[in-house]
Amino acid sequence: MSESIAKYPHPGRTRAIKNFLRQFLGYGGAQLGLICLVFFLVMAALPNILVGPLQTAINATGDFLAPPSGDHLLGTDEVGRDVLNLVVHGARISLTIALLATLISLIVGTTVGMTAGYYGGRLDVWLMRLTDFFFVMPSFVLALVITPVVVEVIGRGQEILGFRPSLFVILVVIGMTSWAFVARIVRSQTLSLKERTFIDRARVVGSSNLSIMARHILPNLVPQIAANGALVVAGAIYVETSLSFLGLGDPLQPSWGTLLSLAQRAGAASAGAWWYLGAPGVCVLTVSLSFVLIGNALDDTFNPRRRVIP
Amino acid sequence: MPDTADILRLESLQVHFPIQGGLFDRVLGRPAGAVRAVDGINLNIGRGEIVALVGESGSGKTTVGRLITKLAQPTGGKMLFEGRDMTSVQGLSALRPYRHRVQMIFQDAYQALNPRHTVFDIVAEPLRSLRLVDNATQLADRVSEALASAGLNPPGDFFARFPHELSGGQRQRVVIAGALAVKPQLIVADEPVSMLDVSIRAQILQVLVELRKKHNMALLFITHDLPVAWLIADRIAVLYLGKLVEIGSADEITFNPRHPYTVALRNATPQIGANAGRAELPALQGEVPSAARVPKGCRFHPRCPVALDRCRQEEPPAIEVGPKHLAACWLADERPCST
Repeated sequence: MSESIAKYPHPGRTRAIKNFLRQFLGYGGAQLGLICLVFFLVMAALPNILVGPLQTAINATGDFLAPPSGDHLLGTDEVGRDVLNLVVHGARISLTIALLATLISLIVGTTVGMTAGYYGGRLDVWLMRLTDFFFVMPSFVLALVITPVVVEVIGRGQEILGFRPSLFVILVVIGMTSWAFVARIVRSQTLSLKERTFIDRARVVGSSNLSIMARHILPNLVPQIAANGALVVAGAIYVETSLSFLGLGDPLQPSWGTLLSLAQRAGAASAGAWWYLGAPGVCVLTVSLSFVLIGNALDDTFNPRRRVIP
Repeated sequence: MPDTADILRLESLQVHFPIQGGLFDRVLGRPAGAVRAVDGINLNIGRGEIVALVGESGSGKTTVGRLITKLAQPTGGKMLFEGRDMTSVQGLSALRPYRHRVQMIFQDAYQALNPRHTVFDIVAEPLRSLRLVDNATQLADRVSEALASAGLNPPGDFFARFPHELSGGQRQRVVIAGALAVKPQLIVADEPVSMLDVSIRAQILQVLVELRKKHNMALLFITHDLPVAWLIADRIAVLYLGKLVEIGSADEITFNPRHPYTVALRNATPQIGANAGRAELPALQGEVPSAARVPKGCRFHPRCPVALDRCRQEEPPAIEVGPKHLAACWLADERPCST
């Protein structure tokens, strides 16, 4: 199939992508969001090149709680670690967790939503009740309950797929609690798509249900999934930060939330160490804001009618 | 022995959609009603024959098309294709040979094409899903051939286009090419030209007529337009409220209609240079009644200008009024039936 297609260029597709980019980048929010995002992604991708290996209490170089200076651009923490170093390394953990959790959420949400919407009937009812259940499940309580169990079972100091157990739990919990939102949106869109004539045509030409879902419905869902996916990432970053702040993070793989938690415990606020609290805080804020901006711009691009009336 | 001269045979085919009564009705034990969308249709289509199914909106003509293409399931009657009973055949693999032989052309070409697929993918879809080609070269050949038969030349220029880059007529040609790709023996065309400009209409009709000539393909042409039906069809069947009221050769139905409904349909067609004044068009009174409340007796009697008492009580059978010309009217024998 792909060989025969490859022979013919797709001027239409290229043009469509160009049009989309022109419109998407026309939104100031999208530009700002993308610039911030690229900045943080570079940080997350190359922490060792940018600031050297992650500092611990053993190889810490600075004074205790020293304010920003030439040596330590963002000051130091209570054991003398460079805050810039910690924040850059934290970017990797925070972004990885948020993006992987979003991936889980989108895959589960799309599968459940599309299946429920497409098949309808009793399957729809049961899948939607399941969705409701996950919809109201509080991620905080769930994470707090599951973490000790997982740590106990796996054993302290072990890793699951390269994540410390508590981070892995956070990842799974965010994925589990955010897919319901995606499933609802995907289902409603599927309900309207499946009534379109091209689905009837696909049936008449002998396409299977699976192929109709994969080749006809899913491609038409991409705009919704992309726009909402960006919002799910923003939510995931917040939840990850809050859970880590509550102490579910891992000191060996510190995320921004873990840093905030450490700062709070070190009494950074009362000691006037604004750099220690401020640096990870601003990072969380900027990244989630840029995802929201991108999500809204995607939504506006794909669905311009939505925001005509403010 | 089954009659294999006909490619498709509908024997008192019916679709009744049940109406879910409210709780109140159920407690009182009122019988649940049904929408009699298709209410017992007998129709044969011969090999290479073009039959037009004419009726106004709500007459059930689209449902008949969906039944034949197995998009809907009948609740009664029989459907024989090449002598084989297809009534209750369901499921993808069981239907595959049938899908290979029966294809559909949709009314709204824009809706019938997935906006995210290229013309190549659209036309190739049936060939891929019905597994009719072995390799990519063969696939490209069959797609080119289908596009060329539908009048899109040169086919290669259209491969990479998207539906929104085509004109209305081109889109309809793509839909036709998609149906032709598998070389079916019967095509159900549901109002294929009603959404098109009059100038393009003739071209599309021409394509359909030529296909019949070339491949001896049978065509069920669903339309609300009597002149178009006369132009293209060998025979015309007139549908009213889920039942055929008259069937016969295209000329007979158009020029010698025996059912008052057919007469009314014909009179309602505007004609350039007609004797009657410009603004005078004898219109049929009233609307098609709801298929949930089919009138007793002859279903046309509330709107019929010549209805008798008998029409209100008894449903008329199909009476042979000429060679292969049937009309379901108590007055069909008595000529002239003028309105």
